Amino acid sequence: MAAKKKSNEKSDLNKVPFSTRVRPYMIVAPSLIITIGIMVPFAMAIWYSLTNYSFKLPNHKFIGIQNWVNMLGDASFWGAVKISVLYGTISTVIEMLLGLGVAILLNNLNNGLSKVLRVLLVFPLMIAPVTATIVWQLMLNSSVGIVEKLLNIFGVYNFPWAAAPGTAMMTVILIDVWINTAFIILLVLAGLQSLPKSPFESAKIDGGSAWFNFINLTLPMLKPSLYIALLFRFMAALQEYAIIFALTKGGPGDSLMSLSLTAYQKGFKFQKFGAAIPYILVLWLIINIAAKRIVNRQRAAQKQAAGLEE
Amino acid sequence: MKTGKQRTLYVLKNLLLLIYAVFALFPLIWMILISFKSDTEVFTTTFLFHPTLANYREVLIRSDYGRYIRDSVVVSGGAVLVSIIVGVPAAYALARYNFPRKEDLAFQILSYKFAPEILVVLPLFMIYQKIGLYDSYLGLIWVYQLISLPLLIWVVRGYFEDISVEIEYAAQVDGYSWYQIFFKMLVPLIKPGLVSSALLAFIFAWNSFTFPLILSSNKVYPVTVAIMKYLGTDSAHYGQLAVASTVSALPAMIFALCIQKHLVRGLSFGAVKG
Amino acid sequence: MKKLLALMLAGVMLACSLAGCGAASETPAPSNAGSTEKQTVESSTPASTASEATGEFDWKKFDGEEITVLFSEHTYADAVEEKLSEFTEKTGIKVNYSSMPEGNYFEKLNVELSSHSGSIDVFMTGAYQSWEYATAGNLEPLENFINTDLTSPEWKYDDFIPAVIDALKWDLVPGHAVGSGSQWALPMGWEVNILTYNKKILADHGINPPKTAEELLEAAKALKEFDGSGTYGLAVRGLPDWGTIHPAYMSMYSTWGAKDFEIENGKLVSKVNSPEAVAMTEYWVDLVKNGSAPQWSTYGWEMCGADLGAGKAAMMWDADRGGYTQNTPGSSNEAGNMAFGMVPYPTSAGKTEADMKSNLWVWSMAMNADSAKKEAAWYFMQYFTSPEFMLWSGVEKACTDTPRTSVLEDPAYAESVAGAEGYYEAFSTISKNASIFFTAQPYFTETTTEWAKTLQYLVTTDKYSSVQEAMDELKATMDELVSDLEVE
Repeated sequence: MAAKKKSNEKSDLNKVPFSTRVRPYMIVAPSLIITIGIMVPFAMAIWYSLTNYSFKLPNHKFIGIQNWVNMLGDASFWGAVKISVLYGTISTVIEMLLGLGVAILLNNLNNGLSKVLRVLLVFPLMIAPVTATIVWQLMLNSSVGIVEKLLNIFGVYNFPWAAAPGTAMMTVILIDVWINTAFIILLVLAGLQSLPKSPFESAKIDGGSAWFNFINLTLPMLKPSLYIALLFRFMAALQEYAIIFALTKGGPGDSLMSLSLTAYQKGFKFQKFGAAIPYILVLWLIINIAAKRIVNRQRAAQKQAAGLEE
Repeated sequence: MKTGKQRTLYVLKNLLLLIYAVFALFPLIWMILISFKSDTEVFTTTFLFHPTLANYREVLIRSDYGRYIRDSVVVSGGAVLVSIIVGVPAAYALARYNFPRKEDLAFQILSYKFAPEILVVLPLFMIYQKIGLYDSYLGLIWVYQLISLPLLIWVVRGYFEDISVEIEYAAQVDGYSWYQIFFKMLVPLIKPGLVSSALLAFIFAWNSFTFPLILSSNKVYPVTVAIMKYLGTDSAHYGQLAVASTVSALPAMIFALCIQKHLVRGLSFGAVKG
Repeated sequence: MKKLLALMLAGVMLACSLAGCGAASETPAPSNAGSTEKQTVESSTPASTASEATGEFDWKKFDGEEITVLFSEHTYADAVEEKLSEFTEKTGIKVNYSSMPEGNYFEKLNVELSSHSGSIDVFMTGAYQSWEYATAGNLEPLENFINTDLTSPEWKYDDFIPAVIDALKWDLVPGHAVGSGSQWALPMGWEVNILTYNKKILADHGINPPKTAEELLEAAKALKEFDGSGTYGLAVRGLPDWGTIHPAYMSMYSTWGAKDFEIENGKLVSKVNSPEAVAMTEYWVDLVKNGSAPQWSTYGWEMCGADLGAGKAAMMWDADRGGYTQNTPGSSNEAGNMAFGMVPYPTSAGKTEADMKSNLWVWSMAMNADSAKKEAAWYFMQYFTSPEFMLWSGVEKACTDTPRTSVLEDPAYAESVAGAEGYYEAFSTISKNASIFFTAQPYFTETTTEWAKTLQYLVTTDKYSSVQEAMDELKATMDELVSDLEVE
């Protein structure tokens, strides 16, 4: 039914007067105008990547793709890609699963506890990532940290957390999960609470277990929201650098030097801005490709959900 | 009445929720505890200590804290407001109309989130200095659109898409103006999406660090940059840092409390989906 | 003590003769273009050395001007901020003042300076950073102003402690030591890196305050977990950035007789794999692994100080200020228990007390070469580095590391730091041999970051089979980083 409607509209498009055809663009225009300005800095950044722009040199000159060549030859570049993707993927997956689970629980239970927690569980997101990292660092510290004292009860002493290459990644992911699961919870909860009642009512009449309803009714209708949450969370997780920087500045060694952090270090610490840009542009590309994939799935899920709801 | 199996399930669900709540909330409680501890006790005590208001005094009264909060409220609130005014109609257009390059436009708006801040902040700095937007409220509000607009548009678009078009046609036929249809009928239906994404946009704008650090100096000084100064210079005053962060999170907490009832989709005109 | 006194007398004599007959000063000649392409040295007053013909110095000469100042959050900056209104009253110059948290200060500064817009007139910098800024043409050579008629005769350039003021002079040639060349900045306060120890903990465990490197290693190992898990002997920094190399490590490195770079055939060649360097690093890795914090690689100065103050670390080797501020009453749990040692020297390498070398750090203020208000900026700078201001800030505002000899000698100052046992003595002794032991070059940040990373690999991983292997690899990396520098 929805499909038929759309094709009708399409053919009608030719008969629609200009002012009406132009209307959608007009409505979207302000959003575009406000944000189109970012193209200029973006283009400038690309330009800088082709120069040897550095704060330490009084002038900069065009050097072509030298920065790009250097980056591809840099041994740490591929490590950085791996770290960015690993960090982004693992933290997002954990957050999605955890967030979905908690949101379902919150929606399902309608008691005092869940009502209070609906508000409280968003609070971790409100603490600035840098501050949250400092708080966690203090808690995990082996000399003065409270988590350490807790672990001592179980006989675990001096767990290295962020100080050893083997456990550093899981520590930053832990902090990331703590902060950002709230994002997923909020979006999924909003989605759950706006699901229409009628399909569930019909399902109740038809019988069927809660799990069956979940898989075949709730999930498909929820998928569009889930994909949006996934999209934004994944994009942000790939770019994350504040947590890593505040915790270990990229160490120990190179174990947490993601693309963002590498670019930050090269650009702002070492002041070789031209050389730093290619790293971020690669990150941009990765995000672009991932986002396209997720968006395609979201659009498909949206159509499917709309069909279910008719 | 609940069966035995149902009851254990109920208890289990509550337990799981509680476990997660402990994980999520304990660090916050710990942070609030620290804010009441003096520098000598920050590390040597856990739950039993001598509470002091010295940190609060130092941060809230002696320093310029109120001004930092004000700057943050103006910039973040302003940014979200602009995003809502501009973004909700855009979301509607992207949901309802079928025009060429529609998905491309939507993706284009999304793509602003692909660019890490550090990529654009330096060229932006130069541009802003040239056009006089450096260290200004307007400058930050504009740049924050990159953070808030894509999220708002995409989430709200989803909610618009969930609303069947027939409802609008029916209302039109009944003689309601577009104004009434939009505000009295559509907005309540997208409320959960609108308020949740507005809250999130507010939080992200509020917590933004790189943009205010580079693009403003002393006229506009949001609190995220200022918080770092409580780490002190020769010795780290973690208690003060805790105060600064706790109080800094308050506006968002208040916002979250206010929108709670709006998270449930409103019903109006007896219009139920399907 | 005697040396300082003699120097001061000489300085006073020289100052008198300068004020008297305006002879050529002993400040080095202004640097010429050298390796920078862009050097705007503009000043409406000629860089002459004419003295004040008449008596009074005109503080109101630039009445009505407005300057912009960007400082890093620091006790020194707080002291300046407090006296801003007095300054404006005296000179009529309005100050647009802002300060940034230290952790992000340099990023902000870098961006501002890179635009060469002159938006900031005066800013805080450190010695190492000034190498980078001077090379980029951001710093105004201050000898254009010192000993001109824009400087008040009471300002007394020679009153600055030589080690400190020299640390801010450089001739822009990579590889040349600091101490000659243009005066790029004026010191606000400085730090030497000495041992701070908790005398109570040491006494409780029957350990004497260590004086040599061997004693330090023994003490640190003995004090590992002195009070249960999480407590340890010596707190030192471990983050992968220059802050890990510059305080304790570099001090001992230099005491051991090692150098970071040397000039060979017109190129900078890294010497981090020399026998002394390797011996010292082997010592250091042993010290960190067996005597330092379990989470050393995430430790910055904040955590080192916090552990010391909480009684979790028995000793700390870091900036003297770090230990000092943990000791002031009410500042930490262990306040009042601290005492100050000096620089442990390696007797195994044949070193004695005379070889004690501490690396130093100078917070200083510099003038933007692109500033449009250089004279007014100079007035600001000389006011806030004057003997009068520094005595006040040293005694009243806890700016204990004063760069001025006159303040150091002042009884009020000595009294104000008397509460910290051994502090005054350590500071005065070490300041004689303190210097910047890094080779001056504009890639300082890169080379020290790689250095710190190597230390991290050595301590936390098995990547290298020996310290020699690690340092050989580090040498190659450092050589590569500085390969495009031209050295005479």
